[in-house]
Amino acid sequence: MGKIIVEVCVGTHCTMMGAMNIIDSIHSLEEIQRELDEDFCEVEVRATPCRKLCGGEVNGPFVKIDGEEIQSAENEGVMAAIMSRCRSKNL
Amino acid sequence: MRGLFTPVTKIRRQVFTEVAKFAFERPLDGEDFAYFYESSYRIIPGEVAKYRDSVFKERAIIRERTRLAMGLDMRPVGRHKNLTDEMSRAATGEKVLNLPLINVIPFACEACPTDKFEVTDNCRKCLAHPCTTVCPVNAISMGKTAAVIDHSKCIKCNRCLNACPYHAIVRYGRPCAEACGANAIGSDELGRAEIDQEKCVSCGLCITSCPFAAIADKSEIFQLVTAIRKKEEVFAAVAPSFVGQFGPLATPGKILAGIRALGISKVIEVGWGADVGSLHEAEEFLEQVPEHRDFLGTSCCPSWAMFAEKNFPEISENIAKTHTPMVAAAKRIKKERPNAKVVFIGPCVSKKIEALNDEIRPYVDYVITFEELMGLFSAKRIELNELEEEEFESQSSRDGRNYAMAGGVADAVVNVAKSIAPEREVQVMRADTLKECRKILTLAKAGKAKGCLLEGMACPGGCVGGPGTLLQIARAEKEVKAFADTSPYMTATDNPLEGLT
Repeated sequence: MGKIIVEVCVGTHCTMMGAMNIIDSIHSLEEIQRELDEDFCEVEVRATPCRKLCGGEVNGPFVKIDGEEIQSAENEGVMAAIMSRCRSKNL
Repeated sequence: MRGLFTPVTKIRRQVFTEVAKFAFERPLDGEDFAYFYESSYRIIPGEVAKYRDSVFKERAIIRERTRLAMGLDMRPVGRHKNLTDEMSRAATGEKVLNLPLINVIPFACEACPTDKFEVTDNCRKCLAHPCTTVCPVNAISMGKTAAVIDHSKCIKCNRCLNACPYHAIVRYGRPCAEACGANAIGSDELGRAEIDQEKCVSCGLCITSCPFAAIADKSEIFQLVTAIRKKEEVFAAVAPSFVGQFGPLATPGKILAGIRALGISKVIEVGWGADVGSLHEAEEFLEQVPEHRDFLGTSCCPSWAMFAEKNFPEISENIAKTHTPMVAAAKRIKKERPNAKVVFIGPCVSKKIEALNDEIRPYVDYVITFEELMGLFSAKRIELNELEEEEFESQSSRDGRNYAMAGGVADAVVNVAKSIAPEREVQVMRADTLKECRKILTLAKAGKAKGCLLEGMACPGGCVGGPGTLLQIARAEKEVKAFADTSPYMTATDNPLEGLT
């Protein structure tokens, strides 16, 4: 069983644009996986400070999943990425 | 959608940020508001509609939201009026907010069906069709392909819905009307939601529950920022539910520093005013109940107090006459700094109405929500995490801080009452959401609340569930409790309630 590290930027802009809700949705995955009776891998959520990435077309919320950056992150995209990563790790 | 970040939330916050940016950056004596013609294009770029059927409609809605966020009325839909009309009137440090506070943007409303039962495609026209058998008014018959409901007969008892083995019957409702505990939402001639201002108590729950972002309240961020930029001395009074609202790295001390970084001179805890309120209410309770008054209702939630007044006039005298924590805190500031402006920052929409009251107006100059404050932080590019922690002017007790949660107010008052009269047993009845408040007020009216302290809160979970919050309720409660426990004073009685330095 692997461990997935998710870093969610919680700077001002990212928080305003839903970062806290993304964190909530990541935590909610544990429950889903239990319901589906899947072996779930451990997901560590880290709230990280602003990295000054916003500007022009590039916008938060920024979420890094095992180092892979997602910009303009939304709940659904982040959850799907973690779920698929989790499943491939458990194969 | 309370607790979920959806495109509705996003649009609302983008509008606050647009207005805040302009407020901070415009030439102070300027009369040019052309910026706002561009705003709707910045928020809704391109030619393809993202949220609705038409990109033009999307932008039109943003434009009305922009006016509301500046504190202005919407424009009439059927008559010409420039977007920027009256904006120069809004560009002041004085209060411009007027009624109606909560507005349905008519063309954004999708005229959802009002409470109605429908048979969906799930219906298999089964042999048993228990839906017909259980219907007490014979409103369901079997049609050619599915069950059919005769709406003229239906009494909305839910029986068919519960009996159907295929879950084929659904109950449609209007999310705004369902959220409204005051039954204030009806329909206009085009079937769109319309707020009965006589019944509305401005709790704001319709705003967060409309999935089409068709309801919005007015804001005072523009006037607040203008006052700050005109070098007025502005004090902020921050409601106890602020803890945790601005992200996990934004500690209370950093939030405070952030508010000051906006140009606000001093920040005090509204919890301080809550302590003052607890002392008064406990005293009022011990003096009056049950000899002179059957029961005492807490006073801090203006929607609850207004709701009692409008719907239960015969017992509304029993709501405490105490100043709300907001007013107590603001009065204290104005007493020591008569020329300072006071902004209340909280989770609450109904405080905006409270501050329009003639008696309160001299003390509270602006009311903004946490969500609107976030817009100010974003516009000014304030990173809370990077600031040095600061401390509040003076502290409120643990109980004062716990006012943010359902049950907290009653606990605080009971604790004071206990310290004054340990022999007295104080029974508490409490309710959150206006639907539940109606129930306890009905009991009270029937004389079933003798000797009780009644705590009413319009929002689910209390203030932490307010429409102007950013954090989901359960986590907000945890944060509030943790911060409350750091106070050096347990109850209001312990708080020396010192003045401003």
